[in-house]
Amino acid sequence: MVWESFKLSILVVTVATVVIATVGLALGLLFAKGRFVGRELLASFFTLPLVLPPTVTGFFLIILFGRHGLIGEPIYRITGWTVVFTWQAAVIAAVVLALPLMVLSARAAIESVNPQYELASYTLGKSPLATFFRITLPLARRGILAGIVLSFTRALGEFGATFMLAGNIPGKTQTMPLAIYEAVISGDNKQAQVLALILTAVSVVAVYLTAKLTRGALRY
Amino acid sequence: MAESGITILFGPSGSGKTTTLRAITGIIKPDDGHIEVGDRTFFDSQTGVNISIQDRRVGYVFQDYALFPHLTAEQNVSYGIKERTEAKRRERAREVLALFKVEHVRQRYPQNMSGGEQQRIALARALASDPSVVLLDEPLSAVDVETRSGLLDEVAAAQARFRIPFLYVTHNTIEALRLGSQVVVLDKGRVKATGLPTEIFKLSEVNNV
Repeated sequence: MVWESFKLSILVVTVATVVIATVGLALGLLFAKGRFVGRELLASFFTLPLVLPPTVTGFFLIILFGRHGLIGEPIYRITGWTVVFTWQAAVIAAVVLALPLMVLSARAAIESVNPQYELASYTLGKSPLATFFRITLPLARRGILAGIVLSFTRALGEFGATFMLAGNIPGKTQTMPLAIYEAVISGDNKQAQVLALILTAVSVVAVYLTAKLTRGALRY
Repeated sequence: MAESGITILFGPSGSGKTTTLRAITGIIKPDDGHIEVGDRTFFDSQTGVNISIQDRRVGYVFQDYALFPHLTAEQNVSYGIKERTEAKRRERAREVLALFKVEHVRQRYPQNMSGGEQQRIALARALASDPSVVLLDEPLSAVDVETRSGLLDEVAAAQARFRIPFLYVTHNTIEALRLGSQVVVLDKGRVKATGLPTEIFKLSEVNNV
């Protein structure tokens, strides 16, 4: 159980982190630089999973992705496949729950870059896109990396929404946090201890890394 | 603006000097009016012309230089050079660095340079990008008095060598007198007087600008 849930967690969290890093960076940029009506409203929407009970978010995800859901139904009609109770569902839950941490960190990091550098780049003939990749992104690097580490850790610990959308199927959707739950209710304290130790160790390293990245001396 | 030489934009703080520079650069868009440099129209509210910042080719020396902190002096200078190959950009950057006698800080990051060195790199970066005009926003306000005099000579020498118009913002009479071939006095966003530095500063004693 330990090894299987460990492998599954690594798979789910790796895929989720790649999605979170890309989507979260794009949204962070949109909220930091975009000038449009309803920006803060949209930003709040993406922060919501941070404060909602994960089971509530999970419930909304079932409404969206279930076989009769808004997104789930067309997918089922075209492919005959439904995401609920698959490892991909665990990825969706992890992405939705951990994304706010990435969006908030990326936005703050991008906003902390002195806009003079971007203006200087424009006067030197560089397009906004070139400026983003050569000036803004390198200068916001530490905050963005901190966001990736934080959301990775949050994704690894995801329990409630995963339980709702992906279920608790050993070897298929049972990630480490779910395996701990299973171990405890079946009285297998040894397994629970091993899993808890692994998750705690990863979290300690992640929190330390985040602190180093955000509080460390400002080096570029 | 004078075709060549250094035009001084003079006035107390809050008189609209920096706003004027930002409008010429294209960082801000004026409500109405007309901006022309040489024979090129940058902005015209009547015809709706508004050339992008990138296409204006305005060299801008920011008040606090705005050197890219994650790039070395050489990388800062080569950043805006329009050559196709990396080797050519580097070669050109080294030429300009040599011109400003700052080859020795080539590999250094801005935070490891003196104020005077940063100022030279900022000027070198602006000029290396082949601008049609150079705007300097109180470029000496961040360096100490001893360094200032030498830098004034270098600004004048750079203008003479590159032969493009410089627009130099200051509220310092000495800088205006030493550098200016023409002075424009701004007050509350309006041009109050235009003329030779010697004429202007005789006037201003009377008017208490």
